[in-house]
Amino acid sequence: MYELKAVDKKFPGVHALKAVDFQVKRGEIVGLVGENGAGKSTLMKVIYGAYQPDGGTITIDGKTVRFQNPRQAMEKGIGMVFQEQSLISNLTVMENIFLGYEAQFVRLGVINWKAMAEAARKQLAKVKLDIDPATVTASLSFAQRQLVELAKVLTLEERVDGDLVILLDEPTSVLAEDEVKMLFRIVRDLTARASFIFVSHRMDEVMELSDRIYVMKDGAVVDVVNRGGATVEQIQHKMVGRNVDREYYREQRQKPYDDSRQLVKLEDVGLPGRISDISLTLHPGEVLCLVGTEGSGREAILRTIYGMRTPVTGHVTMKGARIERFTPQAAVAKGVGYVPRERKVEGIVAGMNVYENMTLSQMGHFSNAGVLRVGEERKLARDWIGKLSIKAHSEYADCGNLSGGNQQKVVLAKWRSGGSDIMLLDHPTRGLDIGAKEDVYEMIRDMCDDGVGVILVADTLEEAIGLSHTIIVLKDGRIQKRFDCEPGKKPSLYDLLHAMI
Amino acid sequence: MDIQRLKPHFPWITLLVLVIFVGLNDPNFLKPANLLSLAGDIVPLFIMALGLTFAIYIGGIDLSAQSMANMITVVASVYLASLGIWVALLCVAIGFALGMLSGFITTRLFVPSFISTLAVGGLCFSMAQWLSGNRALNMDAAERDALFGWMIGRTGIIPNELFLAVALLAICLFIERRTTLGRALKAVGAGELAAAASGVNVARFKMLAFAISGALAAVAGLLFAVKLSGGAPTIANGFLLPAIVAVLVGGTPLTGGVGGVLNTAIGTLIVAVIRASMLYFGVEATQQQMVFGLVLIAAIALTMDRSKLRTVK
Repeated sequence: MYELKAVDKKFPGVHALKAVDFQVKRGEIVGLVGENGAGKSTLMKVIYGAYQPDGGTITIDGKTVRFQNPRQAMEKGIGMVFQEQSLISNLTVMENIFLGYEAQFVRLGVINWKAMAEAARKQLAKVKLDIDPATVTASLSFAQRQLVELAKVLTLEERVDGDLVILLDEPTSVLAEDEVKMLFRIVRDLTARASFIFVSHRMDEVMELSDRIYVMKDGAVVDVVNRGGATVEQIQHKMVGRNVDREYYREQRQKPYDDSRQLVKLEDVGLPGRISDISLTLHPGEVLCLVGTEGSGREAILRTIYGMRTPVTGHVTMKGARIERFTPQAAVAKGVGYVPRERKVEGIVAGMNVYENMTLSQMGHFSNAGVLRVGEERKLARDWIGKLSIKAHSEYADCGNLSGGNQQKVVLAKWRSGGSDIMLLDHPTRGLDIGAKEDVYEMIRDMCDDGVGVILVADTLEEAIGLSHTIIVLKDGRIQKRFDCEPGKKPSLYDLLHAMI
Repeated sequence: MDIQRLKPHFPWITLLVLVIFVGLNDPNFLKPANLLSLAGDIVPLFIMALGLTFAIYIGGIDLSAQSMANMITVVASVYLASLGIWVALLCVAIGFALGMLSGFITTRLFVPSFISTLAVGGLCFSMAQWLSGNRALNMDAAERDALFGWMIGRTGIIPNELFLAVALLAICLFIERRTTLGRALKAVGAGELAAAASGVNVARFKMLAFAISGALAAVAGLLFAVKLSGGAPTIANGFLLPAIVAVLVGGTPLTGGVGGVLNTAIGTLIVAVIRASMLYFGVEATQQQMVFGLVLIAAIALTMDRSKLRTVK
């Protein structure tokens, strides 16, 4: 019923969509996979009306439509559940659900809250969420918020006649496993009311949920796979264009670390309300993984070591010297490098080019009395663009325009080129596609070979298990358990989850 | 051709169009002597705008620039007799220190820069009133000519102010493009959090940006005092709005990170042409600020990168 034919979209210098055919049948769940930069987001934006295609047609039930903006698309029954949560956290659930559509409850300029709550309850029932509609959104869990978003989009059902198509953009990225299961159950039940387009990086989830899967590569649909028509590896092969290394986490390259030397030592470090009694040691060549739920203190530990927070109790020792002043400048001088989770906000400076980003943390090495030696900076950037095969037209490329994986490589190059040997990696593979993830894993092993100590907060538990020499499980700011992770003797998911909860 | 790619070229295109437009209406306008004296007259404003560029480049603003220049005209007039040429150093030092104070208030006490600089501007105004006894002061003409005459004379047909302007522009351009300070300021303007997470001492560089702004406002005040051979606590009133217009019309947005001092040079020339055309079209002096206010609103409304700015408060 919803169909794109030969849809084309060009941006300056990029052919983002090449004659894409795409079809959603009534009550169907369609998966959409592809590496970063394959054109998934562009395709979605065309579908929900944020972009207008340059060529091709969009039809609904055979009638050609053209959307100038997302609102027009919504009026035709196309709704979007955003990856970044779009709810306003200080409003109540019902206010969020009917944001922009309050008019139906207004009498004489006053909102009838009872009627709105009643209507909101009806929407929440669709997604089987039993909460008071007057709850302030901020107090909900991520999973509940995701369901509220879904409920909000489902209000389209009452507003438009005709069928609904709902886009789910990475809806599971912040959910735990059982929450994902629950979401999938609900989505399957809802196919009576709507069709879904499901976009995710997690291949197993796409395979589990979707009736058909569109595989995109370089702006074109390279294959459409029916349920059960291909294995995960086959689809990954189509996405990447080559076989994905079976040794995904490069475990064969994991070597014992050097426990005769200590890079970082934390003794009973505490920050009130965040972490307490944290003691750990990082050695050269070691990957130490901090595992725990959101708010378990992983980030606070990283930020303490990086000098962004000053511990109230305990001591931090780096390379044998006790740290007295906690500032990022002092940490950088000690050889600490920090790859933050929010790559676009804290990792790179958009608007600055590759060499400016790479030397930002080490301008002192490239200047005499404050005057920069730009030639050397550019040479450094060219070297590392080659070394890490960063896809950028030159060292003058604006980092804001690079893809996520290449941005992450620039951030890593920034620290590695400066000789940092204590690397703090916070979700270094978040939002990256498989190829880019493998590159990051490869780089982590390279760093270990060079005697760098890595403290990692991984994106998934599998990643944590696969990469680490040591896992420290945190809960409510305290260390619960420590696991040694020699290849072959790694703890299981169950072991970790058991300690986490 | 899409509008985003043209955007960096807007300032000089605007300048060219304005010059041609005014030139067609007033044939005298394009005479070199006229153009040069126009350019010479705008120099104090340019120097102030040059300083403001640093504050705006990091995403802040310096509303104290005008009061700073006012106060410096008084300081220069009062201390010229006793300090001689060293009065110049005193002026710049005061400007630098008060700019530093604005920066300190902004970065350490977390007061937004439009408030901190407004407050420091109030401080400057009071100091100027106190120091001058609320009167207009005159410099000793002979002493001024002996010590600072070189600033305001002419070499051939070129006003000497222009040499000063070009020299300061060159220094600022060097700072912006070739020094760690300039790079750090760019990083702070374009992505403050990323700069901080890279170990850049953001607070120190921000303070320096405000200090440079203050110092250049002081130079502008000094030049103005020399030109007018005296000072008063309100003598430079009417500078702030055109100076902000010059920076923003030149292409350094309020959000910071792009543009720079070269843009401000073009922006100042645009302001100069607008000012000259107002004289030609008979806009009264009392209405000029209104025109600059409208130009400012129009310039920001037309060029604001709305994708970068989610809400305006």
